[in-house]
Amino acid sequence: MAVLAQQIVNGLVLGALIGLIALGYTMVYGIIQLINFAHGEVFMVGAFGAHFLARYVLPEDVRWYVALPAMCLAAVAVSIGVAVAMERLAYRPLIGAHRLAPLITALGVSILLQEVVRVFYPGATAPLAFPRMFVEGHLAIGPVTILWTGVLALAVAPLLAAALHIYVERSRLGRAMRATAQDPDTARLMGISPNRVTLATFVIGAGLAGVGAVLYGIHYTQIDTAIGFQNGIFAFTAAVLGGIGSIRGAMLGAFCIGLVKSLAGQYVWGGVQYDYVWVFVLLILVLMFRPQGFLGRPEGMRA
Amino acid sequence: MLVGALLPWASTVLPGGAYPDRATLQFFDAPHLVSGFRLHLVLLGVLAALLSRARKPAGIGVAVIALVHMGFLIGLGAPSIGGPVALAGGLLLMWPGLTAPAPELKPPGPAVARLVLLVAFAALVWLVSETLTAGGQSRATNPYGGAEFLAFCGLVLALACALSAYGVLAWLAALTDRHRFFAFSVMLVCALALPFTDAGTGYWMTVASTIGVYAATAIGLNIVVGLAGLLDLGYVAFLGIGAFTAANLAHVVPFPVAALAGTATAGILGIVVGAPTLRVRGDYLAIVTLAFGEIFFRAAQNNIGGLTGGANSIPGIPPISMFGHAFDKPLGVLPAGSLYYAVTVVMVAVAMVMLVNLRHSRTGRAWAAIREDEDVARAMGVRTGRAKILAFLVGSMMAGLAGAVFAHKLGTVGYESFDFSESVTLLAAVVLGGMGTVPGAVVGASLLFVLPEKLREFSDYRLMLFGLALILIMRFRPRGLVSS
Amino acid sequence: MRRKSTAALSGLLAMGVVLGASGCGADKTEAVGGTGGCDTSKGTLVVGVIAPMSGKLSAIGLGIRNSVQLAVEQANEKCAVKGYQLKMDAQDDEANPDKGAAAAQRFADDSNVVGLVGPYNSGVARAIQPKIASSRLVEISPGNTDPVLSRGPEFATAPKRPYENYFRVVGTDDLQGPFNARYLVEKEGMKRIAIITDGKAVGENTATQFAKEAERLGARIVIREKINENDNDFSSVLTKVKATRPEAIFVGSEYHVAGPLSKQAKDLGLNVPISGTDGLFDPQFIALGGKDGDVATSVGAPIESVETGKAFVDAYTKKNFSDGYGGFGSFAYDAAKVIISGVGKVTVSADWTGSPEQRTQMIKEVQAYRAEDGANGLVGFDEYGDSLNKVFTVYKVTSGAWKDELSDQAEAK
Repeated sequence: MAVLAQQIVNGLVLGALIGLIALGYTMVYGIIQLINFAHGEVFMVGAFGAHFLARYVLPEDVRWYVALPAMCLAAVAVSIGVAVAMERLAYRPLIGAHRLAPLITALGVSILLQEVVRVFYPGATAPLAFPRMFVEGHLAIGPVTILWTGVLALAVAPLLAAALHIYVERSRLGRAMRATAQDPDTARLMGISPNRVTLATFVIGAGLAGVGAVLYGIHYTQIDTAIGFQNGIFAFTAAVLGGIGSIRGAMLGAFCIGLVKSLAGQYVWGGVQYDYVWVFVLLILVLMFRPQGFLGRPEGMRA
Repeated sequence: MLVGALLPWASTVLPGGAYPDRATLQFFDAPHLVSGFRLHLVLLGVLAALLSRARKPAGIGVAVIALVHMGFLIGLGAPSIGGPVALAGGLLLMWPGLTAPAPELKPPGPAVARLVLLVAFAALVWLVSETLTAGGQSRATNPYGGAEFLAFCGLVLALACALSAYGVLAWLAALTDRHRFFAFSVMLVCALALPFTDAGTGYWMTVASTIGVYAATAIGLNIVVGLAGLLDLGYVAFLGIGAFTAANLAHVVPFPVAALAGTATAGILGIVVGAPTLRVRGDYLAIVTLAFGEIFFRAAQNNIGGLTGGANSIPGIPPISMFGHAFDKPLGVLPAGSLYYAVTVVMVAVAMVMLVNLRHSRTGRAWAAIREDEDVARAMGVRTGRAKILAFLVGSMMAGLAGAVFAHKLGTVGYESFDFSESVTLLAAVVLGGMGTVPGAVVGASLLFVLPEKLREFSDYRLMLFGLALILIMRFRPRGLVSS
Repeated sequence: MRRKSTAALSGLLAMGVVLGASGCGADKTEAVGGTGGCDTSKGTLVVGVIAPMSGKLSAIGLGIRNSVQLAVEQANEKCAVKGYQLKMDAQDDEANPDKGAAAAQRFADDSNVVGLVGPYNSGVARAIQPKIASSRLVEISPGNTDPVLSRGPEFATAPKRPYENYFRVVGTDDLQGPFNARYLVEKEGMKRIAIITDGKAVGENTATQFAKEAERLGARIVIREKINENDNDFSSVLTKVKATRPEAIFVGSEYHVAGPLSKQAKDLGLNVPISGTDGLFDPQFIALGGKDGDVATSVGAPIESVETGKAFVDAYTKKNFSDGYGGFGSFAYDAAKVIISGVGKVTVSADWTGSPEQRTQMIKEVQAYRAEDGANGLVGFDEYGDSLNKVFTVYKVTSGAWKDELSDQAEAK
């Protein structure tokens, strides 16, 4: 019982971290039907941005409540910068191009970003220790333990998702986004600039990924150039599972992925070595039999 | 303009220290002062002075050579005056932007056409061999090999552009198209003749047969992606399935049977993976195939069913052996590996014939329809489901066959050879060469394997340049490098 | 269309040139490599290196390359090979057997190549061995630990050397795994041990050998799990492990897995020592979360206790390479010195031609080599080409730093 409870907690923490990336996937796909493969790398560069600030700019003895917001800002700034550059230079020129072009470009951007960081960031050829800028130790509830960084992730991720949800529902820009997602042509006729909306989507997605990167770094205390791709795939799976285009769905999907991974490793045939496989099996089954996901609209499926 | 034509000459008069003296290319290794890239510059200068249409291509060539040498010289801390002068000359040549359309050349009679094709392909093989050997093999004895190779590429580029400016390339393409069968036979013979040229070393034969394996696989992928428009991101798994099947059977049955078994197994799994394509489309399909690829990779790593050797891979696969001769041994004057090279050339040729025939068949037209718009295709009465499954079947069988050769050639098969980055490499080969084109996959695979071998200096940037190339090609030339 | 393409192409080439400029900047030292005053009239001889210099293992591969570079430069300064200048030619195998085999073929074809240091991955070695066997090029690996490479598939019961040109300067998995097990079971009295591996050959094989020895000594392997190489989240596997109440965890992987794993285990309330092999023995292990009481075994005596080891570290640091020597640099340095000494002896009697006879002579010289002054102590080879240096050391994290506990001979069982 204690094991089950602990595994559920493990899965939820992982889910919260993935969820912040999944939000970016779901929004971009909702607006321009692009699987932004490189979104995982936006997350990764955010982590390195925060690492850079903490390691080379901030003084050594800085307190965590100063450092953490600063690192978040750095990560968000770097993530947004990269995402905007990516949108302007790589994706926007492809409007109206061959159907596979954006996807292959996204793959190219993903490789390019990973390699640029690996080659040019000092020491990034090997995993880097991430500064531990939060309360050390853990919260114990009976036999179940949870790191304070995990508690933070579990609190922040749903909060940000909720805030985003409200923003998209209430604000002017949010309405423009929803309109563009539903029918880009009509939206354009109504005076909405699709370019502006797309850019805004990339910026918001990147900002969330940046925050997610810092939470990820302080929780697992190590980052490397591969974290983006691996977690990006999980996050994409989560977005599809929850129903692509749906913010609540992305968060829900992410928690599901986290739970599947931790519970499959514990209880299913093959053990931990096959836990990824079960996530991918789930992905294939969802895509085949319920491509609209848990909360997506059936007509949301285009491509 | 005259000044522009003369400037490259001037640069040859102004030597740039120790480095240019050593920058000689093997086949121009004469004891004259003017050799190597300087000879090339002179040649291009003559070209520019005599032929007006070739002025711009010559300018490009000069500029590339100048840039390469300037770059390397600055890197070596020995900048010379020759570089900037030549660069200025090249730019001047490129300046007058009169772009007269290439003239249309009349097709000659069949006999002449065949002779021309024969000469053209022989020249191509010679050029390939020279390109491969440019700069030498060992970077330890010739640290400037990278520069020499790039400079030679500049010359080749200039010549190609010049020929194109006179309409010769288009003319040759038309001839090839007209005498398709003859051209193909000549090409095959020429390709098989590569071991007899300068590039006929054990090393280049090893590299070339690796390219052959990947080219055949890439042609298979080209059927799936280029013809049917189904993006497969886990394609390397089929190469792996073929390889593991052949490896497990290697000690039991002779190679042809093992290869057949590998092909069949990959084909069956291709159908299994292809089945979901009936339900999902476009981007989602790409993700499904990626997931299948990852599942295969994990399963192979965990030695599923004891079939893959897990972390320790499967060692000791015997080489292909026919008529009592093991294929990894030298044959007469031919270096070791030539036989594998021949096997892969034949394999690639078969794959190309298949691709051409499929493209012009009923199925091929169905694929083209699906690629453009699946709903319309279905409305027009195309049986989309069958056609899609068939694309996966053919593509995966091709990869399975290549995998069987791969296993025997290498002598060991392990899961590491089939990870996601290999799928990306294959996709890059297809995209680079041109999706759906016949020589595309071969050109793409050759570039992706030869360039890293020749430009060891940039090994750290290899993947970075891959990524950049994918982006740039999608942006500027989405139909690949060879398509016109 | 055409103009656009040429523009793009020349753009690419121009970028290549810019990169080339920066790449060459780093290579300059190689090209100039000191020949101060030695007679080099007979030409240049090449020491080949094959290692993974790009990708995930680049830190290890670059350490190997730089260490061989160091050995070659030192040899040139000392005129170790009379009449010749030595050069290093390093080829990146990308940890890919196919690439490694092509590079090895290139060296085998090239008569100037006197010997090969590499590869790092056992998988690459398996592809290289048959490629270069007929050319008789001598190969010394600084990193292969798979016993099959030197003693054949029946290495434990009926060892048989498959290739007589293959040597290695590191101990094999079947020595270090059991050595680690003996320490943990006999010295620390651990009775319930969990095993976590990363699916790579080294990790899997040492873990298997570890388990065999630990069970022979009466301990119980309570669970064995495999995690994914790229994972950072070990909470799930550790929860599973914790339920089996182990007293220690053997980690068949490297520091970047074991360090965070150690921390995450403690965070879960599983405060038991982590143990592993040389992959863990890195200062980064502690930075990434390794805690006091964690154990790593490593080949050779502690490098500070070996005078020549310290000299290697000092010389390496002085060269200001952009990368550290990594876990296998010192072995690569020793391997290069073996080859240099061999070619020095072969060229005394006759000029180097690279003939099969001379390369066979090289194999004999390497086989006969024996020196106490390697960066890792004893360097020499037994009848299978395995290292004679069977000394292993146990290191323990004590007050936040590695401290050597004991050194001992490991016997193959």
